[in-house]
Amino acid sequence: MLRILILLGGLLLCCTEARAQSADVPRLNVTPLLCIVDKRAPTCDITFLVQWQSDTVGYYCLFNDFSEAPVRCWTERDSGELNDPREVSETFSYWITDEDTAKRLVAVAIDVLRLDSGDRRRQRRNRHVWDLL
Amino acid sequence: MRALAILTCMLLSPGALANPGSTPTAIAEAASSRWRFAIALGYGLRSNPLIQSDDIPIIVDLDIAWFGDRFFFDNGDVGLTLSDNRMFTLDFVTRVNSERVFFGRTDTQFVSFAADGSTLATPVLLEVPDRDFAVEAGIELLTDGDWGELQLTAFRDVSATHGGYELFVDYAYRWRHDRWVIKPSLGVSYHSRSLNDYYWGVTADEAAESAGALPQYRLQAGINAHARLAAQYIVSKHWSFAAALEYERMNDDAAQSPIVAQRSVRGYFAGMSYRF
Repeated sequence: MLRILILLGGLLLCCTEARAQSADVPRLNVTPLLCIVDKRAPTCDITFLVQWQSDTVGYYCLFNDFSEAPVRCWTERDSGELNDPREVSETFSYWITDEDTAKRLVAVAIDVLRLDSGDRRRQRRNRHVWDLL
Repeated sequence: MRALAILTCMLLSPGALANPGSTPTAIAEAASSRWRFAIALGYGLRSNPLIQSDDIPIIVDLDIAWFGDRFFFDNGDVGLTLSDNRMFTLDFVTRVNSERVFFGRTDTQFVSFAADGSTLATPVLLEVPDRDFAVEAGIELLTDGDWGELQLTAFRDVSATHGGYELFVDYAYRWRHDRWVIKPSLGVSYHSRSLNDYYWGVTADEAAESAGALPQYRLQAGINAHARLAAQYIVSKHWSFAAALEYERMNDDAAQSPIVAQRSVRGYFAGMSYRF
């Protein structure tokens, strides 16, 4: 009986801790999330709208893969918004940190979809009766 | 057979093989997955030109392919890349001729009229003659540029099924606007007499078995023409909406065959596609 109570107590503590952690994690939204490239347009010129929001007022920084320095930092804020113009050809991420800039609190990946692989065989047309795409 | 022997020699000759390590294709491929796996769920139909036949519904369209440096598998086609450079890609390919699928969706019916319109003395049970799948081998040339994509193929039966060959050319051009991709294509295919006659002809035995409902019918070589329009809206890296329209006009001899009811083969499909 005592074992069960200890186990339940442990679970309760663990869940409370997890909930507290998730409440502290800022929410990060980036639009658009996809860049489409092909031979004629090998890069995307996009202005990304980056928005974040946290339940806790504090010091937050926005980073991306293009630079080791932050894109921007906010002091004593619980939300922020930024327009970030970029020329993109590879998948990359935005992420938010607090004072500990080595620790990513939340990250969002921007996918790059390549329509041309460079392998002509991938463009070959099949002529099977059951295949229409 | 001589063509096959020449092809075999080409394949066995080390000098004939491409050196993929030095080509732009190989460099690009090294960075990406060799597999291509996609599934599309939706609704489509391919019309069946045969008499007493059902159209072919298409609910699921699977795309399974693997592209190695030299060998590749592409939805049933197995290929060996002989040459790959900035100008073109040359492959040796074996495939299954899928026209047999039309013959797998036919009905048996009683008919009172012969193919020439005359009345039969008694109704006869008419069955569309059966045909086999043919394994074909041949050469495929792919080239592209700002002007579009061109595919030229020459395939010959290697399974002693129809004993004929097909020459095929297809031109495609792709437009993209934001997330929309539109790709129209058109082309022609030359069907040799043996190929045309095997699938769309009626042999003397088959005519006799039909008790007069089908006359004997032999075909010469002919040229089919085809056009296609494919559209895609890219929703995300994996999901897209895909639609395709296809039209193929059969050659004169095939269209006039007593087992053919429709001059053209039409197809369409629309659905959601997931690329893994």
